[in-house]
Amino acid sequence: MGTISSAFDMISGALNADQSALSIVANNVANANTPGYTAETPNWRQNDPIQINGVQYGDGVTETGATSMRDSVLSARLDQQQQLASASGARLTALDSVQALFTPDSGSSSSTAGDIGNDVTSFFSSFSSLEAQPTNNSLREEVLTSASTLAGDISNAAASLSSQRSALDQEASGVTSQVNSLTSSIAQLNQQIQSTSPNADAGTLEDQRQEDLSQLSQLIGINQVKTENNGLAVTTTSGQLLVSESSSFQLTSGSVNGATHFFVGTTDITSQLSAGGGELGGYLTARDQDIPNALTSLDQLAYGISTSVNQLNNTGSDLTGNTGTAANPLYIFNEPTQVAGSALGMAVTMTDPSQIAAAGAGMGTGDNSNAVAIAALGNESLMGVSNGSTPTGFFSNFVSTLGATVSGVQAENTAQNASVTQLQTQNSALTEVNLNDEAAAMSTLESSYQAASQVFTMLNTLIASALNLGDQTTVA
Amino acid sequence: MDHPQLKELVGEASHALARLDTRRLEELALCCQALNRDLSPANSATRADDARQAREAAGEMAAFAGIMEATRANLNVMKRLRELRTGRLEYGGEQIRHWTGSESGNGNH
Repeated sequence: MGTISSAFDMISGALNADQSALSIVANNVANANTPGYTAETPNWRQNDPIQINGVQYGDGVTETGATSMRDSVLSARLDQQQQLASASGARLTALDSVQALFTPDSGSSSSTAGDIGNDVTSFFSSFSSLEAQPTNNSLREEVLTSASTLAGDISNAAASLSSQRSALDQEASGVTSQVNSLTSSIAQLNQQIQSTSPNADAGTLEDQRQEDLSQLSQLIGINQVKTENNGLAVTTTSGQLLVSESSSFQLTSGSVNGATHFFVGTTDITSQLSAGGGELGGYLTARDQDIPNALTSLDQLAYGISTSVNQLNNTGSDLTGNTGTAANPLYIFNEPTQVAGSALGMAVTMTDPSQIAAAGAGMGTGDNSNAVAIAALGNESLMGVSNGSTPTGFFSNFVSTLGATVSGVQAENTAQNASVTQLQTQNSALTEVNLNDEAAAMSTLESSYQAASQVFTMLNTLIASALNLGDQTTVA
Repeated sequence: MDHPQLKELVGEASHALARLDTRRLEELALCCQALNRDLSPANSATRADDARQAREAAGEMAAFAGIMEATRANLNVMKRLRELRTGRLEYGGEQIRHWTGSESGNGNH
């Protein structure tokens, strides 16, 4: 039964709805500068119709809360790109340190690895010098000095790489507590959101949860799954559950073979985290892939040079006419027993320059045939390396490959950061302005892409032409 | 080439695209047009330098290509979102249902 008061109720309901909407607008203005705050728009719900003398009048409106203009798809895309950018950023920082090790000393800067490429050349050149005067003691001392410089630089480089690996291990380990803090917070927010606003937008609480997710994305690679009643499940990119409704599953760490590994429950998810993204992914990729690769190359170089030089020196005659024996081998370097660890253990064991076997066995002390053979090792395939590179060629390839990796990760990181910048711009348009402005923002994205496509095409043509013109064989 | 180093130009294009600075990108497009005109096979004195610059710009071009790829992916996401949001406004939503509902009443809303 409808009454006059029902009509007033209808009108006052509309006024209240207006007032409530005004509050939301005021809230938006007040929070304009709050990081992570999402602008809200009022929701209007149709009221039950009012019956007055059997006639249905209007239905009025009631403000039922606010829907944050967030868009889960865009937020997820932004989080995903942040994961990638954080991973490549962390990896790039580590790779820059590795590359700096192999950048020769210049000016005031110094590299603990010195200049290994130059050391290799100098070492074999010292044998070339000895060829001319095989009994000259100062030339013999020069051989040991250059051997010592080479061994020291390779060993220092390996030690520095191991230190960098340990530092990355600690960085990675430190991420665990941050991840656990964020997943606990997300689980608590899930509970609050589900209990206070199961069927509607939870405004500030959802903003807080989004902020936590954004931070978590920068630390590790995650997937987000919306669940019932505004709930949210969070997994690693490989599907390991971190948050389910109001429960969080702690990430723990422990040492496995000297390196920190990460677990959820009893499951070791280290390799999954490595591939997943975020800072942790970047740290782990550098720790478990880039640095071990560099160490392996150094080990191969150290093993190849040490064993091949030792082998030849051991079979020749030294200045007193002796040749090496099993009990007293004439080794210049520590003789490695295996490739792994050769770089770190590389050192010169020979202290007496007269033990350098410049002469062939039984050829007399004035002979230089063994010095010639050892000098020639500099131009022969490095022992134990399948691609047939000379020692300097092998090291040069290693440095080039490292440079290409750094360059690739740099390009990747630049692109990912640019993508994050673009998405943040779009996200701002989505959460802070109206639909028309959002369309304008997308139009900017589209026109920028088209303009960039033109620039890219022309640059590509320009570069191809410049390379072609500069290549004499092509021009001819 | 009598102009800034090519790698700087490519880097500038990358930054402009990251900022979605369409105007700057259009300026750079004009700049590239001019450079393409200036690149003359007859000018043997600059050939080697042109080729050097082109080689040195390879890394920046890779980054630019990556940003182009990311931008295209972002654009696709935004287009899909736009379609979803536009569709929701045209065919559904509380507000539309409200207006539709009130038309069947007495227009008092």
